Amino acid sequence: MTSTLQGITLKGSSELVADFFSFGINSILYQRGIYPPETFSRVTHYDMSLHLTTDVKLKNYMNNVVAQLKEWLMECTVQKLVLVITCLETNEVLERWQFDIQCDKSAKENCAPREKSIKAIQDEIRSVIRQITATVTFLPLLDTPCAFDLLVYIDKDNDVPEKWEESGPRIIDQSEEVRLRSFTTSIHKVNSMVAYKKND
Amino acid sequence: QKKMDIPFDISSYLCYQEVAAETSSFKMDLDDDTAVITTLKSFNSFINRPELPQRLSESSAGSGNLQSQYKRRMELLEAAEKVQSKNRYLQLDLEKKQIEMSHKKARFELEKMASDSARDLEHQVDQNQELLGRIKRLENKETEAAKNLSEQEEANRNLRKNLEGLQKKLEERDAKLNAANQTISSLKDESRELMMKIRNQDSTISAQTLETQELQEQLDLQRRKYHEVSQLCQNLQAAESSCADHLFKIKELERRLVLQEQDIAIVKTVKSEVAKVPDLEKEVKLLRDDNAFLRESRENCSLLKEEVEGLRRKLERMEKIKEELINMELEKEVKLKDVNAYCSVLLLVIRKPEDLSREVIQIQQKEIALKEQNYALNSRVRSMEHSQSELRLELNQQRNKTMEEQKKRETHDALVRRLQKRVLLLTKERDGMRAILESYDSELAPTEYSPQLNKRVKEAEEVLQRVQNHNVEMEVSYMHLFHRQKIEDLEAERQRLEEQNNILEMRLERHNLQGDYDPVKTRVLHFKMNPTSVAKQQRQQEVEALEEEIKHLRELVCSLQGGGAVCILSRFLPVICVPDLRKQIESSELKNQRLKEVFQKKIQEFRRVCYVLTGYQIDLTTENQYRLSSVFAEHMDDSLLFKKGSNGNMQLMETEFSKTLGEMVALHLHHQKSIPVFLSAVTLELFSRQTSA
Repeated sequence: MTSTLQGITLKGSSELVADFFSFGINSILYQRGIYPPETFSRVTHYDMSLHLTTDVKLKNYMNNVVAQLKEWLMECTVQKLVLVITCLETNEVLERWQFDIQCDKSAKENCAPREKSIKAIQDEIRSVIRQITATVTFLPLLDTPCAFDLLVYIDKDNDVPEKWEESGPRIIDQSEEVRLRSFTTSIHKVNSMVAYKKND
Repeated sequence: QKKMDIPFDISSYLCYQEVAAETSSFKMDLDDDTAVITTLKSFNSFINRPELPQRLSESSAGSGNLQSQYKRRMELLEAAEKVQSKNRYLQLDLEKKQIEMSHKKARFELEKMASDSARDLEHQVDQNQELLGRIKRLENKETEAAKNLSEQEEANRNLRKNLEGLQKKLEERDAKLNAANQTISSLKDESRELMMKIRNQDSTISAQTLETQELQEQLDLQRRKYHEVSQLCQNLQAAESSCADHLFKIKELERRLVLQEQDIAIVKTVKSEVAKVPDLEKEVKLLRDDNAFLRESRENCSLLKEEVEGLRRKLERMEKIKEELINMELEKEVKLKDVNAYCSVLLLVIRKPEDLSREVIQIQQKEIALKEQNYALNSRVRSMEHSQSELRLELNQQRNKTMEEQKKRETHDALVRRLQKRVLLLTKERDGMRAILESYDSELAPTEYSPQLNKRVKEAEEVLQRVQNHNVEMEVSYMHLFHRQKIEDLEAERQRLEEQNNILEMRLERHNLQGDYDPVKTRVLHFKMNPTSVAKQQRQQEVEALEEEIKHLRELVCSLQGGGAVCILSRFLPVICVPDLRKQIESSELKNQRLKEVFQKKIQEFRRVCYVLTGYQIDLTTENQYRLSSVFAEHMDDSLLFKKGSNGNMQLMETEFSKTLGEMVALHLHHQKSIPVFLSAVTLELFSRQTSA
């Protein structure tokens, strides 16, 4: 863990949130079967057993995205992170996992670490990931080949970094939305929700 | 003895009467013995109380009162004795009643016992009756046996009588024999006959003795039967004793039955209670599920509240950011103008470095001055803003004051109107009254004015008061109504606005969940090389490759189906047919291969047959050139070459072997112009060469 035992700094909080996204997205990819289960290995993190991909290209992509995400979290310019699952044949969006990020901007000026125990944050993250695993029970089956994409909602006045481009919000037409648990590091608050296309 | 000293007083007697009444009232409380005792105690204490003060008056009583006192004392004594007796009576009554209660209880128990014992008795009576019946039957049997016995005895007696008769007869016959013996000599024949008769009689006697023996045997039998019957009687008695034992057992069994029935009743109640348990368990489960669901909903509520708070904070922050943005833009514009101005200025002046430095210094100085100005301006702006806000506040206050004053004015106007109305009414009344007065003045005498006038005045006053009250009430109700209406309107509007607010908040939430965003403030980015685009590209490539394959396969199939044949496969075959086409292609290829093999075989055979029959092996060397080698050729290389000309004729080509056959060539080809003859000639020639050589 990056932060000291005493408290959470902006940097530490950004790292915690970026870690959560890394593991959370891997879990979702495993649970929804976007990549074959044999391409995942089991690791222990947050005091629970999680899946992490071993595919080289995917790892590369994830590392790039997560690194950029950490920078944006430090600047407090990122508003949402969205995982979009599209059907390759029809090019429609089938599922949309959205994570709203609220940043306490006063942490940017004030460098004093905040009082919150890492264990409490880990417990909250653990319950969120467990809930994500449990939502698989009611989500509709993805039986067509699918691919995923990560979208980031940031403030308009930010520059667009190299290797990134603008994209549409990829909203699902006729969706059902479910709000999941949230967790907070006292500097960043992350709300999770999932929207899926209604099965007629 | 105490009571002898008690002085008598009317008041004390009356008090005693009261106490007696109390005791009599308490008498009725059967179960409360303590009350009686306490009242007795109180009575005794009361009677003892006035001893002391009364003793003082004793001396003043005088001798004349002694008798009366004595009488009174005696009466008291009697009364006390009465009280005592009454108390005793009460006690006895109580005891009697207690005894009666206990009697009743005992009676009740005894009755229970009696009923139980009656039931037992009945049971026993029934059993007794059964046993009596059995006994009767046995007794009947016994009587019958006795009868049989008596009959047998009678028979015996008869037999004995018969025997005695027979014995008498025998004696008579002996006498006759004796009488006859005297006449034996004369009557030997008679004696023989008599002897014969005797023999017959002996035989009959023997028969009769046999009979007697039989009868004795029968007697014995009867005696044995009698013994048996007596044994049966003994057995009966034993059975009776065993019956009594059985009766005891039956009673015990019946007692056990009763207990078991009680147990059965208890078990049934327990079973019914146990049957309720699963229902209770189900209810408990349902309640637990409801509890869990309610806890989850509570958690969801707390989550939603958190989010609402987060949204509010966000809103506040956004507003602050807006204001800052506006300020920053203004500053930016101002500074841009300055920068443009500087640029235009600088272009004219710069030639030397000193100038530059001077310029720089100047610019810096200007900068400082400008900064000072800026600060001054900022402070002015702030002060202006302060003053503006203050002015706004003042404005608001003034507005509020004007509103209030307007309201006051309105109320005053309303008051004025009301007062005017009242004044009008009053004036009207006054006029009316005046008119009435004048009418009275004109009509009536002055002396009759006052009472009527007074009446009229009173009436008018009453009417006025009523009207005033009515007026006041109407005003109050009108104000209430007015206020109420306002309040209702405002309430309705508030509710409507609240509903709208809720709906808008829900819509906002829904849009937020769906991923909506404000394009002015937010932009959506993604990585260029993201898995979806990569997968799409791959898919596109696959699709293109598949389409090319399909084209290729279609061409193959068309070509396989025959050169001039129409290609049956249309361009618009769906993608799903590809495997079918492939299968078709494979099958057609297989067919081709098989055809080829068959062709080859057939051709080889044909060529072999040709070689055998004609003796020439015909090979196709190059286009239109045929090489013939004979079966009888001397050397391997000996062959004839024929070429097919453009007009279709076959021409012989020059070979080493053909040079040796020049004569035949000239004869058969040039002269006779027949190739088959030439060939057959060559064959004959070679054959002759071979056989000869």
